[in-house]
Amino acid sequence: MISVRQLTKTLGDQPVLGGVDLEIARGETCVVLGRSGSGKSVLLKHLIGLFQPTSGEVWVEGEEITRLPERQLGGIRKKLGMLFQSGALFDSMNVAENLAFPLREAGVKNEKEIDERVAEALEMVDLAGEQKKMPEKLSGGMRKRVGLARTIVGQPACILYDEPTTGLDPIASDSINHLIRRLQKRLRVTSVVVTHDMKTAFTTADRIAFLHEGRIYFHGTAEALRATQDSVLTDFIEGRSGDVS
Amino acid sequence: MVTALGRIALSLIQYLGELALLVYETGRSMIVAPLRWRLFARQIVEVGWRSQLVVIVTGMFTGAVLTAQTYFQFAALGMKSATGSVVAVAIFRELGPVLTGLMVSGRVGAAIAAEIGTMKVTEQIDALRSLAVHPIDYLVVPRVLALVLSMPLLVAESVGLAIVASYVVGVHLLGISGPFFLGNLYRYVGPRDIKMALTKAFCFGVVIAFVSCHQGLNAKSGAVGVGRAPTEAVVISSLGILILNFFLTFLLNMLFPYGH
Repeated sequence: MISVRQLTKTLGDQPVLGGVDLEIARGETCVVLGRSGSGKSVLLKHLIGLFQPTSGEVWVEGEEITRLPERQLGGIRKKLGMLFQSGALFDSMNVAENLAFPLREAGVKNEKEIDERVAEALEMVDLAGEQKKMPEKLSGGMRKRVGLARTIVGQPACILYDEPTTGLDPIASDSINHLIRRLQKRLRVTSVVVTHDMKTAFTTADRIAFLHEGRIYFHGTAEALRATQDSVLTDFIEGRSGDVS
Repeated sequence: MVTALGRIALSLIQYLGELALLVYETGRSMIVAPLRWRLFARQIVEVGWRSQLVVIVTGMFTGAVLTAQTYFQFAALGMKSATGSVVAVAIFRELGPVLTGLMVSGRVGAAIAAEIGTMKVTEQIDALRSLAVHPIDYLVVPRVLALVLSMPLLVAESVGLAIVASYVVGVHLLGISGPFFLGNLYRYVGPRDIKMALTKAFCFGVVIAFVSCHQGLNAKSGAVGVGRAPTEAVVISSLGILILNFFLTFLLNMLFPYGH
């Protein structure tokens, strides 16, 4: 479904991605792991055309999107949904209006249908009845859930998650991890999850890609990652910095 | 020294290039994308309705003060009855558009830059793009149209109130003859002055809209970045209005010459 070929990206004079190759098959959940600042979110934003690469290609459903101008990316973006790190809810709209936004943009005019689909999406993320709340009244976990509901309400073929558990307490994180898993089973969407949270990786992944020094250092199943003896990977999995106190 | 000047010139060229690109993208959006009427109406309320206090106070007190100052100078020369026409020409041609432009850039320009800047750093603009909504269509076009439509109306209102205040102060407070005041006003103020005021208002609206939207769209992350966007929007818009006003004055005096 998504193919990344020799993708490089330099921000300012800082090389962030140095030739990333990655294949994501339809229906699978690929978790992209890596240290903070390793370029995971930058890679994810390339998949939906929010960044233009320095070189390389991104293909989505057989179409190369890297050279498409902003206005021509609309068609591809309707097939993809993205959950942003902060939720990125529109703060001038309440929860229901945030969720109705992609539907109205897609041309849905029937208010009854919009209300039903909004209610259904909120129910999927365990926030039934919260339509009237404004984003500033929501906790961090609730904002991510509403962001996720806004992502799934348009029924995308693929969902991109940018650090879905960052900034959440362990219980809220666990709840989001199970929510991602539940949505995968229920909606059968392709998912790309960018995280540095090992619990999220092992709970949600079909396959894991480890981004290190701007390249994919490891790509395989969760079991293969658990069994690895590579010190770069084991240090990351076990959270060893090498510093002594 | 030369290196520093070169760097400033390059930054200025880059900035003007970015503004030109924004103008091009906005013009293109107006042609290829349908106007979002609800957002446009909301911006008209933001720009036009919520600027009323600022515009009313600016217009009335500028007219009143200018009348008083002109009267005190002219009275010594025995030219009291010319006060109204001098004030009116100054208000129509310069003070009305410029002061209203500066006040609107402070109120509306800062709000636009702060709002769009906050949306930028909280990823709301990326969220718009990910939902297949072009930020220029959604954020810039309604604001630009609201400003270029509202500014001439706000300037007309400000100028009108300034003339009324000038009449009240000149005739009722300072004792200038009412018929002389109005007679000189009609004699020396004509359609050319109205055209000049409205043309300047339109141009200042364009400056405020594009500078403010550009600052918002290019806001840097963090509290400092978001805080800097409205400040710079107001400073750049104000400087732009003052500099553009100089060139517009020459150009418009050629287009609408006095005494013809």
